[in-house]
Amino acid sequence: MIFFLLLLLLQFVALIVQHHIPQLPMIGCRVLLMQIIMLYAAIALPLPGMLVATFLGGFMWDALHSQMAGEAYEISLGWSIALYTVLGAIMAGFRPMFRRGRWEIHCLLTGFLVCLMVLAEYVVISIRREPVQFIFNRDVAWRIGGAGLIATLLSPLVFFVLNYVAVLTGYDPQPERHTKTKRR
Amino acid sequence: MIRERLGYIIGGIGAVLLIFTLWYFSNPRRAAHAQAGFLGIISPFLKQGSSLQRHYASKKESLKTFDELEAEVKRLRIANKELSATNQALRGMEAENNRLRGALGYRERAAFQLMPARIIARDSSTWYQKITIDRGSEELIEPDQAVLTESGLVGKTTNVISAHSAQVILITDENCRISATVEGTSEQGIVKGERATGAGIPTLGLGFLRKQAKLRPGMIVYTSGVGGVFPYGVPIGTIEEFRMRELDSYATIKPAVDLSTIEDVFVVISDTK
Repeated sequence: MIFFLLLLLLQFVALIVQHHIPQLPMIGCRVLLMQIIMLYAAIALPLPGMLVATFLGGFMWDALHSQMAGEAYEISLGWSIALYTVLGAIMAGFRPMFRRGRWEIHCLLTGFLVCLMVLAEYVVISIRREPVQFIFNRDVAWRIGGAGLIATLLSPLVFFVLNYVAVLTGYDPQPERHTKTKRR
Repeated sequence: MIRERLGYIIGGIGAVLLIFTLWYFSNPRRAAHAQAGFLGIISPFLKQGSSLQRHYASKKESLKTFDELEAEVKRLRIANKELSATNQALRGMEAENNRLRGALGYRERAAFQLMPARIIARDSSTWYQKITIDRGSEELIEPDQAVLTESGLVGKTTNVISAHSAQVILITDENCRISATVEGTSEQGIVKGERATGAGIPTLGLGFLRKQAKLRPGMIVYTSGVGGVFPYGVPIGTIEEFRMRELDSYATIKPAVDLSTIEDVFVVISDTK
């Protein structure tokens, strides 16, 4: 329970920290720290924990970034909650492997899912803005792919630190890591 | 049995809550209320983070020698005197201009005041261009007030978060549209941010120009004052590229202000308030 609350707090702190990190030079992408922690929560916590973490993450993201276009919101508040829940559920599908002590595929998956988050935002914006047009050039690709790449590179460190914090708080996110699996 | 189905039960409850949330926030008023609440909670933390950044930057600055600092103070004092004198002269000219416009029967151009503000946060999303400033409702900040620096236009206020913070949409955001005019011509168009620009300095697009427009790189683009949000004659940027299209002409503009490095801005507040 302590670790669960700590993860929610860390999501909030990460959101503030990433607000002060500028766009990366050359590629123009962002460091999405909060999303990495949220995806970690999806594999480290059981289903209810994952749902709360993605709900909080989606709500905070929308509340901070949604903007009015005329009378209505360009992307309605709550949209990211739905997106993050779906992506969190995909991540949670790989939880059994994480419990057994594996983490490599989860880091790659974190990068891929962060890419999907940024891409989904771009697609929705392209549909919502007038005139409707989908521009996909090298700059857009770098912004989307770069965010995923940074997430992939950062996630081993974030996962390691959070695993350590989990153990300190008395929660073991990988309880089966010493269990040997039988091979036929 | 119940333990086996627990996952489905929790998932079901989650799905119902999600649908309810989406329905609840589909009303813009309720969504705006929730957004303002959250921004009110987070803005003190953003302010704190910003002051930490400034503190770190000022530590670097303090490594200057005493002589360097003395020279800088001297230079700033002279610049301050020059600006005060220019400002005085411009105020006189503004009054004279309004008097003459009145004599000709034109509508008097609204005078305005500038409210200095500090940037406390920059948007961390990939596709939006916004900043948060440390002025809010208590300083008479309202939505749709122009924000500028001594070099040119920065954007406009969109959302007043609290008594001492407000959001500003930058001119490089696609949703910020500005009626503009080009130096030395009668050409008028609409400036807006370009959606997919590189990581360097984001560019603006000046569209809805006449097809016969003859513009060239280096010309300065100013606000035209049409629409009432942006005052007349504020520099927006310089034309970098100009091309004719099927129905109109289009110019790519480099913003007059480097939006990635600015720290202080001015909010335009009407004198009538």
